[in-house]
Amino acid sequence: MDNVIEVKNLTKEYKNLKAIDDLSFEVKEGEILGLLGPNGSGKSTTINCILSLLNFQNGSIKIFGEEMRPDSYDTKSKIGVIFQEVAVFEELTVYDNIDYFCGLYVRDKQIRKKYVEEAIELVGIEEFKKFYPKQLSGGLLRRLNIACGIAHKPKLIFLDEPTVAVDPQSRNNILDGIKKLRDDGATIVYTTHYMEEVEIICDRIIILDKGKILAQGTSDELKKNAKIEEKITVEVAGMEEDNIETIRQFENVENVSFDSNVLIVTYKKGENNLGELIDYLRNNKIKYDKIFSERPTLNDVFLELTGKELRD
Amino acid sequence: MTVFKTFWKVVKKYKGTIILYTVMLIVFGGINMATGDNQIDFVDSKPDVLIVNQDEEKGITENLINYIEDNCNIIDLEQDEEAINDALFYRDVNYVIYIPKGYRKDVLDGKNPELDIKSTGDYQASLAEMMLSRYVETQNVYVKGLENEADIIKAINDNFSKKTSVEMISKLDTGKTGKATLYFNFASYSIMAVVIFIICLVLSSFHEKTVNKRTIISSINYKTHNRLILSASFAYSVIVWALFLIVGMILLGDIMLTTRGLVYMLNSFVFTFCSLTIALFISTLVNDKNAVSGIVNVVALGSAFLCGAFVPAEWLPDTVLKIAHVLPAYWYINSNDLLESIEVIDMTTLKPIFVNMAVIIGFSALFIVVNNIVSRMKQKVG
Repeated sequence: MDNVIEVKNLTKEYKNLKAIDDLSFEVKEGEILGLLGPNGSGKSTTINCILSLLNFQNGSIKIFGEEMRPDSYDTKSKIGVIFQEVAVFEELTVYDNIDYFCGLYVRDKQIRKKYVEEAIELVGIEEFKKFYPKQLSGGLLRRLNIACGIAHKPKLIFLDEPTVAVDPQSRNNILDGIKKLRDDGATIVYTTHYMEEVEIICDRIIILDKGKILAQGTSDELKKNAKIEEKITVEVAGMEEDNIETIRQFENVENVSFDSNVLIVTYKKGENNLGELIDYLRNNKIKYDKIFSERPTLNDVFLELTGKELRD
Repeated sequence: MTVFKTFWKVVKKYKGTIILYTVMLIVFGGINMATGDNQIDFVDSKPDVLIVNQDEEKGITENLINYIEDNCNIIDLEQDEEAINDALFYRDVNYVIYIPKGYRKDVLDGKNPELDIKSTGDYQASLAEMMLSRYVETQNVYVKGLENEADIIKAINDNFSKKTSVEMISKLDTGKTGKATLYFNFASYSIMAVVIFIICLVLSSFHEKTVNKRTIISSINYKTHNRLILSASFAYSVIVWALFLIVGMILLGDIMLTTRGLVYMLNSFVFTFCSLTIALFISTLVNDKNAVSGIVNVVALGSAFLCGAFVPAEWLPDTVLKIAHVLPAYWYINSNDLLESIEVIDMTTLKPIFVNMAVIIGFSALFIVVNNIVSRMKQKVG
């Protein structure tokens, strides 16, 4: 597979702040790359540099093998961008909005008409063609926003948090649409705060913090690299500090926390851990209710790498 | 073409505003024209005069009193000094003539006696004084040449009985030009409001941060995109101008098809262009649709009030007119006012109007330059 995006040693500074610090990565043709990072990690700055919306001090950016510049109109014609904020005209209908943004790329009226209809169908807003944006719900507005960004059938699509404040039905619709775009041959760069979305649709993930890549790989690769292998959560009536300290001494235990009657124990390795813990609770007559044993999630990996929750 | 067409689709959404301002122009401009009749009329004017005669009412003295009675309104008043002073103060009388005792005799003796007078000093008093001086000078001429009192009186009266017919020859229909001026003066408000309001609203849609970002990353050249929007804005302004000219033709009729009418049109075109540059400047500064309405009220309404679009400029205080000099509408309205009274249209009489147009074009150039500077500064900050 060819590289659609090649970023090499990208550095962007704002006065004394390094927003991007010697960043290098590639995006391969046909993949969905998830760009994860807490607020201020450099995700949006990276995308803005790639799109030539921002100047940068060092590094090079190539898209489809060509160096990206503000006047790279041929390259730009293959790119679609869906911003977090809805970017539409309040005065135009759903159809006219999509037609306008598609018209910035496609001049032929007949082809454009076909493309606009297909975009409307892809995001599932056929019934709302003649509606004005003010008449649409938040979810439908997001779908319109996506249709405006992809109607011209771009080969490379940037999606910046497209599902924020969207109802579950619209979210599923949007995620299905993104998968379909990938199946149709588009390469997608996807940023989101929703870890479950990343697990569902992204082929590869890059975790950014302070303008640097902390980790990259598939979801499973990232989890394998994590220090923990099992996480057990138990609802207990109450616990003494001595009990917690004893559990902490168990073999393979990485960390123990107890808060609001919830005991969380994480293990470096995962064999017979659950039995050992239940035996201890029973022997010490500690009452317990619900017990969960799970593999580490992407969120745990993210927390381990950045020390922050993704939605912080 | 997509950008151009979309511009008009957005404009179409605001057609209600355009109709509103057009109706306002028809209604208020029409009322203005109906109530402001500028036809020049001449009316006979007589000052209010009080005669305090201390001489006998015979011969020369009687003739003077008759002359004054024929040419002035004689006020019957108690001949008490306090009452006379009050009457002068309250403008019940403009001029008081005191005929001294022995006036008749002194005139006939060639002593040229003086008449005491009291005056309010206004225009009517000046008129009375002018008439009295004329009479006294005529009387002095005949007293020197004739000896008999009856002959003197006859000569004076013959002199004043001669009437000269005066005809004012003017090709200027001040009624029509006055109405045209009132219409075009009021139109300054409508033009400015409709051009600034709609262009600012439409451009704020195109310049909305995220929409603009989407345009920048698209495959259309951003400069080309901006040029298309500018062309559409210019075309829109020309259409607004043409619309108000059509309304003017309906309301004013054939004067619009004269040379004078063409100058009114040219003046309004220059003003429309200036309004466009103001609109572009405001849209660079402000990108908030909610603020546009307030700004239009301040700029268009304020300018109309300060420069005399609704009331004649001569009614406005000097301070207001001095301030108005910094507004393009002042120069536009001044040209309309000049056009109302110019008798002959030629290069000499049109020169001050062309100078006014040059000033408006200067304002436009200034707005374009400042707009470019602000725009570049904003791009750098962004």
